[in-house]
Amino acid sequence: MKASLDIAVEVQSEPFAMDYGYEAALQQRTDIGAIVSFTGLVRDFNETPDVTGLTLEHYPGMTERTLVGIGEQAAQRWPLQAVRIIHRVGYLTPGDPIVRVLVASAHRRDAFNACDFIMDYLKTQAPFWKKEHSNEGVYWVKERHTDQQDAARWSSSATL
Amino acid sequence: MQLTHLNTLGEANMVDVGDKRETRREAVASGRIVMQPETLKLLSDGALPKGDVLATARIAGIQAAKRTHELIPLCHALALSKVSIDFEVDHANSWVSVSAMCRLNGRTGVEMEALTAVSVTCLTLYDMCKAVDKEMRIEAIQLESKRGGVRGDYRRASSAPIVTGEGSAGEVSIGERCVSPCVRVKFLAELRERVGQSDVAINLDQLSSRDVAGLKAALAQRDTRFSVLSDQRTLCAINQVMANDTSRITDEDEVAFFPPVTGG
Repeated sequence: MKASLDIAVEVQSEPFAMDYGYEAALQQRTDIGAIVSFTGLVRDFNETPDVTGLTLEHYPGMTERTLVGIGEQAAQRWPLQAVRIIHRVGYLTPGDPIVRVLVASAHRRDAFNACDFIMDYLKTQAPFWKKEHSNEGVYWVKERHTDQQDAARWSSSATL
Repeated sequence: MQLTHLNTLGEANMVDVGDKRETRREAVASGRIVMQPETLKLLSDGALPKGDVLATARIAGIQAAKRTHELIPLCHALALSKVSIDFEVDHANSWVSVSAMCRLNGRTGVEMEALTAVSVTCLTLYDMCKAVDKEMRIEAIQLESKRGGVRGDYRRASSAPIVTGEGSAGEVSIGERCVSPCVRVKFLAELRERVGQSDVAINLDQLSSRDVAGLKAALAQRDTRFSVLSDQRTLCAINQVMANDTSRITDEDEVAFFPPVTGG
């Protein structure tokens, strides 16, 4: 039997809890065998060594739609029961959690792969832009070729 | 709130900071000098009679930060651990914006040093360019942020929108008036800063072809700043769905142009 799928995404300027999505994804279900989550934090070094903060901008509407679409694509590849994606926007400082992806599945391999896939697609498709603040000044972060390569892995090879 | 530079009699009074704890203090201030586009071009080409304008102004700003206590009566002399001055030459707005950061481990804030650095940097820019431009205007000198100290951190609410597309919280974006058939165009993130505006409306009859390529051409004809839209890195979405040069545009569509995404 195909388990029911539950996808929810949020984009907000307020901080989120480190266990965000855990209770909501479980919903007292007992068919979930694995929960994998990823939390991304703001580093104090990136394009310059002394990052003091960053401002995140997004395209309201398209962002949420893109994130739901990525969750749905993941669910088409692997049998998933729940996907939770939360992403912060606005001003953040080093150490702040910026993004969290949580995936629930019957088996761990599917959950690991789906979480990895969602982050790769989020980084290359969701309309967010980072502006870094550092001691050298303020600048827009450049896209990374390695992120594109990471996302391309999912279309070029077998996923299991 | 009480002003600490006044005593109980309302007289000027240097604050005794001997009992304050030493903390890492940092302040960032900004300002700008507006000039004629021709002056700005000479400046960025290094063709002004007095030589390298930005390098000279940077040194002036650093020197000024160190001597703030000599200029502002009740300021303490501080052993700054770092002063940096940054410039952004903005051809679209025809100004040079100046940002100064001052830092130290000490008992008193460094915002006066950062503000003094910005002021003197701008004055030096004026001095270096005044032979060719008397109309220059120094403006918007302000504290951007400060860290450390008992009153906690301060950060100026950004005047640039944190989110685009629907305006900031509490604001309603009405947009430009446009006669049907009309397309609303948005520029996001770095692209918004490069073209110098966030929204533009354009009548579809002005497009040679009713697709994204036609829109780009019509905008580029309006203003050369829009030529950046033809950059290969520039992405496009119609009604929030990714699109390309051949994608059709119809009445009341929302077209957004933006740089490659960098979230996560």
